[in-house]
Amino acid sequence: MSFARFLSKRILQGILVIWGVVTVVFLLRYLTPGNPVSFIAPLDAGPELRARIAAELGLNQPIYVQYWNYLTGVVQGDFGQSYIVAKGLPVSEVVFGRLPATVEMAVAASVVAIVLSIPLGVISATNRHEPSDYFATTFSLVGISTPNFWLGIMLVLVMAIQLEQFASGLPWPVSMVGMLSPPTSGMARYQGSPVLFYDGLRYLLSGNLQPMVRWFQHMALPAITLGTYFTALITRLTRSGMLDELGQSYVQALRAKGLPETRTRYRHVLKNTLIPIITVLGLQLGTLIGGAVITESVFDWPGLGTLLIDAINRRDWTVIQGSLIVIGCGFVLINILVDALYAYVNPQVVND
Amino acid sequence: MTGSDEHSSTSRRTFLTGVGGAAVTAALAGCSSSGDTTTDTTTSGTTSGTTQETTSGSQEFPVTITQGQMPTTLDPQDHRSTPTDNVVLHTYEGLLSRTRTGQMQAQLATDWERVEDGRVRFQIRDGPTFHSGNDLTPADVAYSINRIVDPDVGINSPQSDQLAGVTGAEVVDGERAVDVLSDGLNPIVFSLFATYGDVMEQAWVEENSADYVSTHMNGTGPFEFSDYEQGVQVVLERFDDYWQDPADVSELTFNAASESSTRVNQLLAGETDVIVNVPPQDISRVQNGENTRVDAVSSSRVIYNGMRYDVEPFDSVEFRQAMNYAVDMQSIIESVLDTFGDATSQPTLEGFVGFNEELSPYPYDPDQAEQLVEDSGYAGAEIELHSPVGRYLKDVEIAQAVVNQINELPNVSASLNQREFASLAGELTDGDITTSPHWYLIGWGNATFDASQTLIPLLTSDGALTSYENDEFDSLIEQAQSESDTEQRREYLEQANAHANEQAPWIFLNRQYSVYGVSQRVSWRARRDERIDAYAMSQT
Repeated sequence: MSFARFLSKRILQGILVIWGVVTVVFLLRYLTPGNPVSFIAPLDAGPELRARIAAELGLNQPIYVQYWNYLTGVVQGDFGQSYIVAKGLPVSEVVFGRLPATVEMAVAASVVAIVLSIPLGVISATNRHEPSDYFATTFSLVGISTPNFWLGIMLVLVMAIQLEQFASGLPWPVSMVGMLSPPTSGMARYQGSPVLFYDGLRYLLSGNLQPMVRWFQHMALPAITLGTYFTALITRLTRSGMLDELGQSYVQALRAKGLPETRTRYRHVLKNTLIPIITVLGLQLGTLIGGAVITESVFDWPGLGTLLIDAINRRDWTVIQGSLIVIGCGFVLINILVDALYAYVNPQVVND
Repeated sequence: MTGSDEHSSTSRRTFLTGVGGAAVTAALAGCSSSGDTTTDTTTSGTTSGTTQETTSGSQEFPVTITQGQMPTTLDPQDHRSTPTDNVVLHTYEGLLSRTRTGQMQAQLATDWERVEDGRVRFQIRDGPTFHSGNDLTPADVAYSINRIVDPDVGINSPQSDQLAGVTGAEVVDGERAVDVLSDGLNPIVFSLFATYGDVMEQAWVEENSADYVSTHMNGTGPFEFSDYEQGVQVVLERFDDYWQDPADVSELTFNAASESSTRVNQLLAGETDVIVNVPPQDISRVQNGENTRVDAVSSSRVIYNGMRYDVEPFDSVEFRQAMNYAVDMQSIIESVLDTFGDATSQPTLEGFVGFNEELSPYPYDPDQAEQLVEDSGYAGAEIELHSPVGRYLKDVEIAQAVVNQINELPNVSASLNQREFASLAGELTDGDITTSPHWYLIGWGNATFDASQTLIPLLTSDGALTSYENDEFDSLIEQAQSESDTEQRREYLEQANAHANEQAPWIFLNRQYSVYGVSQRVSWRARRDERIDAYAMSQT
């Protein structure tokens, strides 16, 4: 099978999965108790107003007609209009407007994870049964068992609120601690508009450091919160992968050949360990986008997660559907990319 | 934006404010005793000596308000949510308005009178201009009212039921006046217009797309639209040509955090100035904060346990009364609500038209309750309370306490069913009593300060959320709604409340409090109708 054929097969499968997601998400509305109209209409609305709302939204049509309309809309990128959360705005606009903030947080969390976990895993594996190993394994155990929302709230309390008071009570480097103590929540802003990484970079290139500093201050705590579980997971993977590889016969051969130990470890063993980790990293990015919901709520981060929670709380079905479809598509897309990358690196996969 | 823009300087300022905390607190106490300040913006003068930053004239005083949710739209006539009201009401105004405690007062109308049954006349103020620069005209007022009540004028407004009975409005020839027409007498029409009916500019609405109207604002209020980022923030600026004195607040930012702990953290860190719904467990954190305080006021929302009159065992008056005797409301208010609640004796709250002052809450009397259960013939009944989780202040905790207390009766066993609000509300509001749970906890806000807007939807035979049916009660309400003499009407409503107290279609629970966390840099007092009025805010 050629690479192109492999890829097109994967894409076709992906499209089928997305169609499944759209269908399930559409049916969810009908499987959950309660008529959508009663969530949209005010509590004391009369039957006349309810009927008008149903007619306006096409909810009085048979379900297969609604399904067909929804499906053809989605294919054209039209997810309908929000009823409640952003009344009257197209769902696609609302959802895609929130996507960059969430992707950015997921990527930042991944960066935190990668920077911390791989060195930790390597140190742990190469110093087996030594204090550094115990530290790393304990850290990963704690990291995996700590709930996100608790960690987030604790970080805010300690870093943002306690340190802030600490700073104002102290006469010396007040301004310095003040700068380091992060804001509790929300997205960074500069001159009234939100600052994402790209904006920070743009300012930085024109010689203005401040927006980037602000971006970093706002991003640090959410990224640590969201990245902790992930860091712990990758630390464990790196450690066990590294230990596996170190036991392989090629390592013996390299050592026998007289290759320096550091070169053996980092050039050969780590490289082989990283291949499965890259796959996990790719797949986890999808999980992060979907799983940022709680972290986003704690940090009042205007991403897809807070949008989804808001929409669920207020039963804004079109927005719930739109968000779920976009998250689902993200998963499928990342899977295809990881598969393609893997097949490119290891052509054997194509023939399996 | 107060916090994040200049973080290091904020911390210095908050530190300085902290040092002067005692002085500020004293000043606030002075302000609070000066009475009603809703339209009175001169209070800033009394305290300006305490802070040196304040200079006279149009000083910079930005304020940030953090609610639980962002507004659903910026179209003032296309929503029914309090967070949305709180934003749009700074920009749009109605014909009449209310003071902080709920009294009716003039706004865009200078005079109002009943011309005949079903026709009232408002004299429209000469002078207010829209933020677009155009003058307010009676035609704009008539258009705005028609836009709400008539689906052929632009939108299907969910507010059509708020202007109950109103059928339309027309400009009076040769006068600066508008006539509002109602179907029937409509005794509460002025009360409705003191709460609802925001005025928009006809030309602006008609010239712009629906999308634009729901993402921009153009009213006559003290603040004009500056910026809106969906889901992130709404920014308003002081409107210097306002027809009354310009506001003290120079820039007003609204944002939202659904997690109450996040809101509290933001307030403590100085990132916002006013937060809504401080939960009782966080009240001491806010009270003890260096630069923060708690402001609480009894709201216009009543929390109750509906009991369906048509099913066993709730079809027995004795049984329903027994439930009221079995609940120790005072202890719930103290232990669950941290004293932020008032016990109720009737569906209507104190201060509303039709409130019956002679009634008092059922006392806690478990022996009496036990006896009444025996009398009802339903000894041994098993009942289940459906309660929403997280919709009202401590809703599920109140429900738990009620269930526990009723469970202490030897002859009734009660259990709790925690429900998601939306699905519970769906069952209650479908207009069909038989789909409602037999026993449920729910809250009802009534910003019109008139008993009828609680009694009609909740307790008359064809009310939208009714759990009760009684001919005597229905006829009292009917008489009240067709009575033009206000004293006589009040009498009927009081009788209806006495009937409800005696027949006990509800377990009468508490009047909810609105509990706000407020920065010490803002002088402001909470309102009864859940609105946050930044026009009444001044710098401490």
